[in-house]
Amino acid sequence: MRLLSMALRNLRGYALRSFLTTLGVVFGVASVITMLAIGAGAEQALLDEIGRLGIGNIILNTVKPPEATQDKGGGGGGWVHEYGLNYKDLAMIRNTVPGVGRALPVHRRNPRVWHKSRKVDATAYAVKPDHLKLFGYEVVRGRPLTHLDEASLRQVCLVRSGLIQQLKSFQDPLGMDLLINGLWYRIVGVLKDDAFRGYAASALGINSKTKEIYVPYRTEIAKRGTREHRRRQGSFEATDVKLHQIVIEVENPDEVVKVAQMVRRVLTKNHDDEDWKMVVPLEVLRQRRKTQQVFTYAMVAIASISLLVGGIGIANIMLATVTERTREIGIRRALGAKRRHIVAQFLTETTVLSTLGGILGVAVSFGLISLMQNFTGWDAIVKPISIVLALTISMGTGIVFGIFPARRAAMLDPIAALRHE
Amino acid sequence: MSETESVLELRAVTKCFGEGDARIEVLKGLDVHVTRGEFVAIMGPSGSGKSTLLNIIGCLDHPTTGAYFLDGEDVGKLSDNRLSTIRNERIGFVFQSFNLVSQLTVLENVEVPFVYRRPHPSGVRERCRALLDSVGLGHRLKHLPSQLSGGERQRVAIARALANDPVLILADEPTGNLDTETGEDVLRLLEGLHAEGRTIVMITHDADVAARANRCIHIQDGRIGEAA
Ligand SMILES: Nc1ncnc2c1ncn2[C@@H]1O[C@H](COP(=O)(O)OP(=O)(O)OP(=O)(O)O)[C@@H](O)[C@H]1O
Ligand SMILES: [Mg+2]
Repeated sequence: MRLLSMALRNLRGYALRSFLTTLGVVFGVASVITMLAIGAGAEQALLDEIGRLGIGNIILNTVKPPEATQDKGGGGGGWVHEYGLNYKDLAMIRNTVPGVGRALPVHRRNPRVWHKSRKVDATAYAVKPDHLKLFGYEVVRGRPLTHLDEASLRQVCLVRSGLIQQLKSFQDPLGMDLLINGLWYRIVGVLKDDAFRGYAASALGINSKTKEIYVPYRTEIAKRGTREHRRRQGSFEATDVKLHQIVIEVENPDEVVKVAQMVRRVLTKNHDDEDWKMVVPLEVLRQRRKTQQVFTYAMVAIASISLLVGGIGIANIMLATVTERTREIGIRRALGAKRRHIVAQFLTETTVLSTLGGILGVAVSFGLISLMQNFTGWDAIVKPISIVLALTISMGTGIVFGIFPARRAAMLDPIAALRHE
Repeated sequence: MSETESVLELRAVTKCFGEGDARIEVLKGLDVHVTRGEFVAIMGPSGSGKSTLLNIIGCLDHPTTGAYFLDGEDVGKLSDNRLSTIRNERIGFVFQSFNLVSQLTVLENVEVPFVYRRPHPSGVRERCRALLDSVGLGHRLKHLPSQLSGGERQRVAIARALANDPVLILADEPTGNLDTETGEDVLRLLEGLHAEGRTIVMITHDADVAARANRCIHIQDGRIGEAA
């Protein structure tokens, strides 16, 4: 306690110098905490984004092969391009791969959607009711899609509220009829406005430029089929993608990787072309996390260098202080201070200095982080452990870099110190 | 312990400073003997080595050759820690150049010896205040040394030397900067302490001051001169 108050007094005596000395530690600590916070924020964002895909799921997507081959003679002098996932794949996954829980088909269309005289570009997803449950879609108004909708081929749909807004309708969306690709669908539910973003959106084939509409799978397939017609340069062109997506829920999430391997084998056998792609959210998450962590550690390491430089700064100034206060040291020794008392005095001073620097650094880091968030919109999470870590390190810096000057002070010969001018 | 038991005993003490060509021999073989309760004055021309001798007696410096016994203990064989403790508990040193800590107030300067005492004694502040009162500085407790006159600083140095209630008081020209009247106060203070049975070694240039002591040691050119 006495040592502490003595140290504070001495430091106050050289207030400006002490402040400047500790700046290195202040910014060192501030940058370490900021880097850790950015890292933690990025990791959380990753978790939020990819975690929503479900770490127990496997998603298969149809991709257009390099050259749409598989030309099958369609009628009318045109071509039908047939590619992608098909019912055989779905059946084989369901029946031959062990560990698969649900395997859900998805078909997708990009129609123009009409309501009265207004139109909007949308993507209509024909999905099973379970699909919405699996990915945690939340219905904020109305009801979700049901098995009964499917069984009775009801023409009902779910939308996000953004679609209603774009139709500039002030009418209650529930019960509103939309003309989708020539079929009337009635809105029975409105989904929460938390669309998938980034990687998750692309993995689910969600295009942020179009509005999402979800319709019962069987209704859409039974009434519209899977073939898409398009008129191109006078000739007639059709594509037929049976399934745009298969979502597999693995019964035991620990077996995701194993199941994914088996599914991959099945598909490789069924398909000659690269017309499908597999997304395993768990693997993506792991990979991204690893990259993120490497990045974070690199940044923290760089930030630590400034902490080191700060520590050297403290040692440097303390050495100067010891020289300046040689006489005081001599007096104290003459009056009975032991070497360890002198060591303790100087060590306390450097430790107090660096710890105060650390505390100041934590404050600065909060400022830095909020500033950064305002300008870049990055997520940053300050974990309590990183504050504890930074403070411990700054305190340690004081001790490590204080030992040399303190020992130097203590080893001075009392009489030589007294005679020092 | 008999009255004539020696507190200090220096045997053939020499002290050299410097190396090679710059080497000078300041003390050239001194034998000094001080018994318990004695009041000894040391006189001699400037540069004759008085302060050097007192530093050795005060366990601040070691003789180059020769031996020094304090209370029968060979000081040359004591550890640095032990010497610190001796300085802290048994010796009160009034430095020729005062040696006050410039960042500390008058009162804090007097308290410094107690900072290194374990366990921390009680009533330190009161004792230090009373001591400063007795040297006529009761009204200057919160001042810094730089705000005091030379004589006032000297009195602070005296108060500090007495603070730890030492059995051995070493004073290097304690009246050097004082007028006759204040000097007289200081001498009376020392005489009082002597009467209490403390051993005092005092350097002075003033024959009248030296006359107040039991005995006077003359140092000339690093050797003991004629004793008075
Ligand atoms: N650390 C040192 N290094 C070199 N020379 C020293 C050292 N200490 C003392 N001396 C020399 O020793 C001599 C005696 O010094 P000392 O201080 O003992 O004299 P003194 O008798 O106390 O003189 P004064 O009456 O002026 O105080 C001086 O010539 C001085 O230069
Ligand atoms: Mg002298």
